[in-house]
Amino acid sequence: MEKQSEIIRVTGLPVAAGYNWSAGSQMEGFIKALAKKKIMGAKCSKCGYTYVPPRSRCGKCNAKIEDKDLVEISGKGSLVGYTTARVELDGAGNFQDLKKPKMIGAIKLEGSDSTIFMPIEGIDPKKAKEGMKVKVQWREKAKGELADIVCFKPEKS
Amino acid sequence: MVKRVAIVGYAQSHHQYDMQKTREDMVFEVAKEALDNAGISRKDIDTVVTASTDFLDGRTISNVFLSMAVGAYMKDESKVEEDGASAALYALMRILSGSHEIALVEAHTQASTFNPHQVSFYTLDPLFDRQIGLLNSVSAAALQARMYMDANDVSEEHLAMVSVKNLMNAADNPNAHRRMPDLSVEEVLDSKLYYDPIRELTMSPISDGACALVLASEERAREITDFPVWIEGVGTCHDAYLRDRNLLRLDSLRKAAEDAYKMAGITDPFSELDVIEVSERFAHEELMIYEALGLCREGKGKVFIDKWVTQRDGELPVNPSGGALAADPVCATGLIRMVEAAKQIRGEADGHQIPGAYRALAHGQFGICAQKNIVYILGGE
Repeated sequence: MEKQSEIIRVTGLPVAAGYNWSAGSQMEGFIKALAKKKIMGAKCSKCGYTYVPPRSRCGKCNAKIEDKDLVEISGKGSLVGYTTARVELDGAGNFQDLKKPKMIGAIKLEGSDSTIFMPIEGIDPKKAKEGMKVKVQWREKAKGELADIVCFKPEKS
Repeated sequence: MVKRVAIVGYAQSHHQYDMQKTREDMVFEVAKEALDNAGISRKDIDTVVTASTDFLDGRTISNVFLSMAVGAYMKDESKVEEDGASAALYALMRILSGSHEIALVEAHTQASTFNPHQVSFYTLDPLFDRQIGLLNSVSAAALQARMYMDANDVSEEHLAMVSVKNLMNAADNPNAHRRMPDLSVEEVLDSKLYYDPIRELTMSPISDGACALVLASEERAREITDFPVWIEGVGTCHDAYLRDRNLLRLDSLRKAAEDAYKMAGITDPFSELDVIEVSERFAHEELMIYEALGLCREGKGKVFIDKWVTQRDGELPVNPSGGALAADPVCATGLIRMVEAAKQIRGEADGHQIPGAYRALAHGQFGICAQKNIVYILGGE
């Protein structure tokens, strides 16, 4: 068999790239509203599809969504899918075992056509069922950042 | 199609976790082997189209360095930042435009160098989903799998049976990465759980690999080979971002398949196709793919597995090569399906040959939960 040459491994990527994206005015509205414990969506004025978090263009009908199209969305919704995470990515490409499994829910909020993927607490994974009613759990002192949404919990708890 | 284009040569690597080769060597070898397979030389190639992803390669505009390895020096060259099956579509269009007669298509990823699931995280919306930090290609697939299973009464055993079928098929495919002749359903269900219900053996492996094929216009194809494999139809379609998509169905695959069938004049795919090669990155995806390809009714994919329809000796074999579950060098995976389909039609699939395969379907996908899909119908003389 042909002898494999020893390959010298070179590391260095990915670089820590500090991208500085503009959130856009809709997303800015969404983040600011979190300080008031409100979830905002963008309702397309042409087809009515409601995006959560908001987007500035409607992909469904190609219309522009204006700032005036921001609407308040209920903090309540239903579970449309779920999984229990046993691992998580460490950011450098490794799956690490979780000491305590975490539940992730696919949630459709009342008034929203989008599905959001959020942490779930207070549901036994074995008893999780599609259609279960959940509600947002806010951080006690909301600051106007995504971390204000702590998780979603069963509506009756 | 007005003009006809054929696959006249192909090559693929021995896919494995760590190739112990530079990307340059890996790419050079498949490109050279594909030309040798066609019996032509580099000077016969008019245009080169490659596929890889800069983030997976760890180089920006990575074809800058690889264009010489693939044989594109001083030639018409372009690169697609997704699956090689899409690169093949651009090459096909280059030939149909009349500007070029012969195209070399090459795709590769060395996924062992950096976890592709971490890369999938960087495809997410940076303003929201990345900040929440829960999604990646595996967790999203798990959410989709559970939704699909609950809606259609599909069990974890069904997923395991898909893996058993494909990984046992792969045992007879020397190019496959995960070749498991004695695999059992129990073994799959005992494999490491990542995100419930996705396990080590119900998701594709992290593979290094490359694939190349040569496309030629009808006139040149007839000069080059007695066994051209004709592209009879192609369709591609892109769905919405994850949040705004119905994850219970692969709608963009359905549309891509319908377009490909229409172009190929296929009205009943189940009876008109002899063999199918799909890019199922997760076991449940194969069941969803059966439905989206119109082979069975919505939600009934599991019946094909229950009744052994898609086994190698079944009525309509799917993934006799082992599919993506057996080897997944990300950007090459769809192009490998085209090569495997072409091998079947030319009767060159050796240990995993389906007798009398005349017409085949090959499928490629890209993006979390198969956001984009591409379907080819290939046929013999």
